[in-house]
Amino acid sequence: MSVTHAKKSLETKRNSWGWVFAAPGVLFFSTFSLYPILYAIWTSFHNKRLLSLKPPKFIGFQNYAKVLTSPDFWNSVRASATFCLGVFVPIFVASLLLGVLIATRTKGRRVFQMALYSPAVLSSVVTASVWAIMFDPRGLANQFLNGIMGTPGIDHRWLADAAMVQISTMLVYIWKTVGYYCILFVTGIGKIPLSVIEASVIDGANAWQRLTRITIPLLKPTMALVSVMIFTGSLKTFSTQYLFTQRGAPLAPINVLTLNIYDTAIIEQNLGRASVMSLLLFVTLLILAWLQVRAGGSGEDM
Amino acid sequence: MKKTNPSLHRVPGHITAHRAGNFLAMAILVAVSCIAIIPFAFMAGASLMPGSDVTSIPYRWIPAKPLWSNYARALQGSDGDWIYLRNILNSFIVATTVALSSITLASCVGYGLAKFKFRGRNIVFMGIMSTMMIPFEAVMIPLYLTAVKLGLQDSYAGLILPFLTSAFGVFLMRQYLLGFPDELLDAARIDGCSEPRIFRSIVFKNARPAIATLAILAFRGQWDNLLWPLLITQSDKLKTIPSYIVRYTADLTADEGTMMAVAVIAALPVFILFFSMSKYFLQGAGVYSGSKT
Repeated sequence: MSVTHAKKSLETKRNSWGWVFAAPGVLFFSTFSLYPILYAIWTSFHNKRLLSLKPPKFIGFQNYAKVLTSPDFWNSVRASATFCLGVFVPIFVASLLLGVLIATRTKGRRVFQMALYSPAVLSSVVTASVWAIMFDPRGLANQFLNGIMGTPGIDHRWLADAAMVQISTMLVYIWKTVGYYCILFVTGIGKIPLSVIEASVIDGANAWQRLTRITIPLLKPTMALVSVMIFTGSLKTFSTQYLFTQRGAPLAPINVLTLNIYDTAIIEQNLGRASVMSLLLFVTLLILAWLQVRAGGSGEDM
Repeated sequence: MKKTNPSLHRVPGHITAHRAGNFLAMAILVAVSCIAIIPFAFMAGASLMPGSDVTSIPYRWIPAKPLWSNYARALQGSDGDWIYLRNILNSFIVATTVALSSITLASCVGYGLAKFKFRGRNIVFMGIMSTMMIPFEAVMIPLYLTAVKLGLQDSYAGLILPFLTSAFGVFLMRQYLLGFPDELLDAARIDGCSEPRIFRSIVFKNARPAIATLAILAFRGQWDNLLWPLLITQSDKLKTIPSYIVRYTADLTADEGTMMAVAVIAALPVFILFFSMSKYFLQGAGVYSGSKT
């Protein structure tokens, strides 16, 4: 009796070490995540300006009203939505297809994985700068497209035309991220129990039936995860758009939300409105994250 | 992390029975790999050409005569003040510090959450996990204001502090350490080892795979980071590589060949890491889907 009691108190004493180890985390995340998000909510209700000495005044929902009635904000919503939807299908289809192809292969698996993944290793700014040169009027992109279409000497205005510059940013993003999502699919396929596949072979299923009736249905949790990650990732895109506009591309077609937040806060110095936009972005991402958790949960039931 | 043998998923009879399909699969993989690699070939080739050759029609992939001086000019910068060299150094300082602090802090916090049943543990864990849903873009403005108030503008501290550790890192280390054998810890305790020492010499040393994965993720995160350095630094001396590249690319009069040399120099360290530790890179990518089961 006293032995177990002593053991128990020893254990409680030891468990309080958990607090010691976890404390830096509590401190860090309260300071750098919790406090700023509360501060952002507070700022969104005040007319706070950068570099202004006047104390910020409480203005209720005025910032929200201003943002929600400004065409500039809705243009950014359009730009972000177009970008998200434009990259979603190509990335999803390509990474699923390539994931399946790589996972069913034994020889050269690693080589393909590394080749496809290498664009994801390149930093986004370097990627944007390389593509900016390829999109030069005399650059590789024009020569390639003219070669395919048999139209020598035409400038497709990759970084100048309003429609083209949107396509250009999407191309860069698709090129950069397909390999990453492909690896997620490869990992997901690797988790399908071998016994299921063996059973289907014994039952006489051919490769196509195995793919459509077993691999794809069992891959649903990974598909849900990847879908949500493509959406949240592409909503946060910034570097390509920023670099392209710095190099002279028109701002309006590719003024995605993150770029608008940056401009509103730093160039216009209107922190209240920038905070409203960041919070709206946050809520959107939160909804997507909630969908991700739900999708993950239904995957585990399976 | 469980290991699965990839070859197990190849079912006997698959390849021989479907030779045409196999050929098609191979063709697609080769074609897509080429698309993935071509911009690298362009970047490398163009970095050794004069600007006029980079935009010549038709484009010749291989430089007629490698112009190594592009690299010297890239490092020297357009003003000849070697500022790029300084910016590279800054990126190294920031990325290395963040990688080190993030593995130390994340494994420490992750260890506390994985191996001790203290009061409030679940609240702490859920709290940290919920911050994973807060995107940096949502907190960057208030963080910036706070940093300005604390006088952290234009300083290494300002660049580094918000990234000392990450919720994802804590999650990764906790998941990994949940599977760490308790017997090892108890044996050390019986031998009279203090708790901090158990962490340092037993846990930290034996969590290498997870730590390597996390260190690479953290290093790359800062090597790529553009938004925060753009906000927090003003003077050229404290800029990191990404903001330097943006400024350089924005200059339409800059030589395209030198610009690609700038890009190659920025890409090189991460690619050296990638080729020497590709396993951990791919593992880092797989962590998300791996965490699902």
